[in-house]
Amino acid sequence: MPFETLPHTADVRIRVTARGLEPLFSESARAMAAIMAPGCVPVPTVTREVTVEAEDLEGLLHDFLSELLYLFDAEGLLLCDCRITLAAGRLSATCRGEEFSREKHAGGAEIKGVSYSGLRIYKEGEDDVLEIIFDV
Amino acid sequence: MAGDVNRIGEYEWELPVDYRPGMRVPARFFLSETLRKDLESGALEQLANVATLPGILKYSLAMPDIHWGYGFPIGGVAAFSVDGGIISPGGVGFDINCGVRLLSTPLRAVELSQRRELVEHLFQAVPAGVGAKSDRRLSAKDLEEVMVRGAAWAVEEGYGVPRDLERCEEGGGMAGADPSAVSQKARQRGLPQSGTLGSGNHFLEIQEVKEIYDPAAAAAMGVILGSVCVMIHCGSRGLGHQVCTDHLKALEAATKRYGISLPDRQLACAPVTSPEGKAYYGAMAASANYAWANRQMITDMTRKVFVKMFGIGYGEMPLVYDVAHNVAKREVHQVDGKAVPLCVHRKGATRAFGPGSPSIPKDCAAVGQPVIIPGSMGTPSFLLRGTALAMEKTFGSTCHGAGRVTSRTQAKKNLRGQQVRDRLAEAGILVRAPSYESIAEEAPEVYKPSLEVVRVVDAVGLSKLVARLEPLGVIKG
Repeated sequence: MPFETLPHTADVRIRVTARGLEPLFSESARAMAAIMAPGCVPVPTVTREVTVEAEDLEGLLHDFLSELLYLFDAEGLLLCDCRITLAAGRLSATCRGEEFSREKHAGGAEIKGVSYSGLRIYKEGEDDVLEIIFDV
Repeated sequence: MAGDVNRIGEYEWELPVDYRPGMRVPARFFLSETLRKDLESGALEQLANVATLPGILKYSLAMPDIHWGYGFPIGGVAAFSVDGGIISPGGVGFDINCGVRLLSTPLRAVELSQRRELVEHLFQAVPAGVGAKSDRRLSAKDLEEVMVRGAAWAVEEGYGVPRDLERCEEGGGMAGADPSAVSQKARQRGLPQSGTLGSGNHFLEIQEVKEIYDPAAAAAMGVILGSVCVMIHCGSRGLGHQVCTDHLKALEAATKRYGISLPDRQLACAPVTSPEGKAYYGAMAASANYAWANRQMITDMTRKVFVKMFGIGYGEMPLVYDVAHNVAKREVHQVDGKAVPLCVHRKGATRAFGPGSPSIPKDCAAVGQPVIIPGSMGTPSFLLRGTALAMEKTFGSTCHGAGRVTSRTQAKKNLRGQQVRDRLAEAGILVRAPSYESIAEEAPEVYKPSLEVVRVVDAVGLSKLVARLEPLGVIKG
């Protein structure tokens, strides 16, 4: 499911909608990859296991996306296809993607960090919704 | 604007201490009628949030380029008592020591030949854009040195001349850096990125000094009418971003331990003198030093291009000055007639120390600290000088830039990068970027007019105009 962009003058603020928290987190990772580097296609050779621990859902999401930013900078990996498992205080994910290529993935914006300001996870009818601001 | 915003001067506004429950001090900000139209309610809320933090002194402040950020508003300044006050990564931001430097050249703009080639050569020389890697990958030992010594490391490695350091805020290296507080992850992000511009609003710009407002100050700073200058805007790259992320998590736990209640999780903080607060300060200073080394390495790449193309000497491109605009610093200021040690946070704000301050270059002592305010691709940048009034009113601080009025997404919807580039070329400004999208996102019309922002700080007296620089060519990240 695509994400939508909300008004924010300086940074990138988005709203992601999905059915269930695990798909919501997965879509958030996909959205972040699309902002940084459009056109990611997962290949079997690039897979990373990611585990983070935090006290609440917002903390888990924040730390998970921050970990993906780290892998992008340190290893040049664009991870856009994540299978998420949530447990109390813990998120584990199998993340697939591809190596970043400046030719193939031009046109994106470098995300510096995932902000807690304006971070909301809530229910809307049957849907789970996330609002988040990325510092670019 | 909400009803209970008080106007207390032609350009000065106040949120009284009862504007919102929990505020410890009032908030003050500086805007003209023109800029007031673009003031976002989110920015005012963030300004009020800062006023609730423990140990804040006098006011939660914002400069005329105030806009909605995360944690502090962009343009936010706040000073906390070292005794009982806090330090927060939300008052610095992810891009620690994002800053600007200005180099002068002996070339006259009217005689500048091969402008297109110059832009192309600079674009080839300076790694820019998402995923750009440096030609020099630092060793672990190099990185340790960079974090402790900043630009001094770069100069010793041959990326500059000793005089460059005299012309940097903090001499290009903050004391108190503690690499042991910088995680392995932050180091991994920093190793391949030193000497890269980054993306977003970061740039390298060739400019012409078009107007001098204050000849004595311009002479002291080394800026000559009609000459070509180069402005570099970038920060601490992934290393600083990771330090912010890591310490935000550590400070969140500390916030609870110290019983501090917060209106925004991004404002996670700890007492300046607590172990957690000291660890963040040490890691932040290490990141700031990385940023100074980064700008120094880009300076070297720039000088080499000019030397090769125009046959000038490497030493003929002196640094005018280098300022940080995202940083927290230990400074001593006069508060109610007493010298008080403070932790001053500037987030999207520039230090602007007045004449006679011991922390500014000797040859600028009589005029005040050089302040560099970048414009956007099609609008002018400005050189100003710090004032005694800024020391009184804003803990020696002023604005940092123009501030956006249109979001990046909206810009890309409304504007085509290719057309923006062609339009700027017709106006004599050559733009080179990794993608058309980044040109559209940073088009001149998405920013507030830079002239109006500096006009306000000049009129209030937070800093005074010295020179106006017009763009000739731009490398976008």
